[in-house]
Amino acid sequence: MLATRRLQKELQKMHAQLAPGLTLVKAEDLTEWVLDMRVLDDNPLYTGKTFRLKFMFSQKYPIEPPEVIFVQDAEHTIPMHPHIYSNGIICLNILDKEAWSPAQNVESVCISLQSMLTGNDKNERPPGDEEFVRGNTRRPRDINFYFHDNAV
Amino acid sequence: MSAYAAEQLKEKGNAHFKAGEYEEAVALYSQAIQKHSTNPLLYTNRANARLKLGLWEEVIDDCLHSIELLQDNMKAYYFLAQAQLELNHPNEALVSAKTAYDLCSKSFTQTSSAFAISAFVLKCKRAKWELRERDRLRRRNALLDELETKLEQDRNRELESIKDQHEQGVLGDVAAREEMDEVRQTYEDKVTELRNVFAIADPQNMTKREIPEYLVDDISFEIMHDPVVTKHGHSYERATIIEHIKRNPSDPLTREALFIHDLRPNIALKKACDAFWEQHPGCEFEW
Repeated sequence: MLATRRLQKELQKMHAQLAPGLTLVKAEDLTEWVLDMRVLDDNPLYTGKTFRLKFMFSQKYPIEPPEVIFVQDAEHTIPMHPHIYSNGIICLNILDKEAWSPAQNVESVCISLQSMLTGNDKNERPPGDEEFVRGNTRRPRDINFYFHDNAV
Repeated sequence: MSAYAAEQLKEKGNAHFKAGEYEEAVALYSQAIQKHSTNPLLYTNRANARLKLGLWEEVIDDCLHSIELLQDNMKAYYFLAQAQLELNHPNEALVSAKTAYDLCSKSFTQTSSAFAISAFVLKCKRAKWELRERDRLRRRNALLDELETKLEQDRNRELESIKDQHEQGVLGDVAAREEMDEVRQTYEDKVTELRNVFAIADPQNMTKREIPEYLVDDISFEIMHDPVVTKHGHSYERATIIEHIKRNPSDPLTREALFIHDLRPNIALKKACDAFWEQHPGCEFEW
């Protein structure tokens, strides 16, 4: 019930206005949304590319964080970043149960991800990416990341 | 001895309730009440089962009995409020819901219900506001009134006919409930459309307005009714911020440590929120 009202309002606001570089692709229901994101500066790693994000909400959103992943398909790749695994799973502290704040919203999460890409100059995956991706069957919410480097 | 027997029956009733067998649960609670009629919990349990069955008048009887036996009876007031709202008495429902909310926000053991009750208080306020708004609109427009009354009569007739078929056994429980829901939904849709048509013909009253942001809780995005302020001066609805603190004792904006005992009621803001419902007749809001 909490999630319903809150997401309806967020959607309303996003339809009216959305931060630059963001496009709402799909929000047919209140459990799963898809957004496209471009990086605004001319970081050579990401220029000209559009990345696709999938948000999944529980009934307890925004008390509980949304699950957010990058999606790979024919037109979209997973951005190269030392905190983004090649299966699209993102290691960002604000999306973790411990550091999530209900004052965040879908748009502000997208903006955080934008700036996470903007500030990156490493063309690499997180350490242990291959193993993680090969072995992982868990959803983002069931993973406890160890935030080894909060500066990125 | 009778109290013991009643307790046994209540336990059996609870088991049926958990299994979703509400009629069986009601029967057992009733037997328990015959054995031990002064236990207020028997009445609230039966009220809860009857709520699930949609027996609103009976729910009200049970709740009033229970409150007679135990004054500060949070559950009884909460169930009472739900039945009153279903019977379209939002004023009474709001009074009951507020009583339930006050009782549970004062008690330390019942905080888990606070969140649901808090949301319900708001629902009553909105229903009360809508009822008043409908009266106002109807007064302004006799034709709209006549049409809405006709739609209402149609709906009631259809509901009665389904009820009859249900009683005669032509329709099962599930089918009857589904058909009734459909009738209600169709009615709501028709009324909405009708009002839209009338609103278009009367553009002065058509503009939707936004609720001022300072009255809205940043977590639930709902208008507040019991705002509390953090030590950083930011206000939230009590029930939602407590729900957050229980998971993560930190200020949503600054991430500094924040505990339930740091919260203070924001009385001035509460008055502003209350005043909001009294003012603005004739505005349509984006809830």
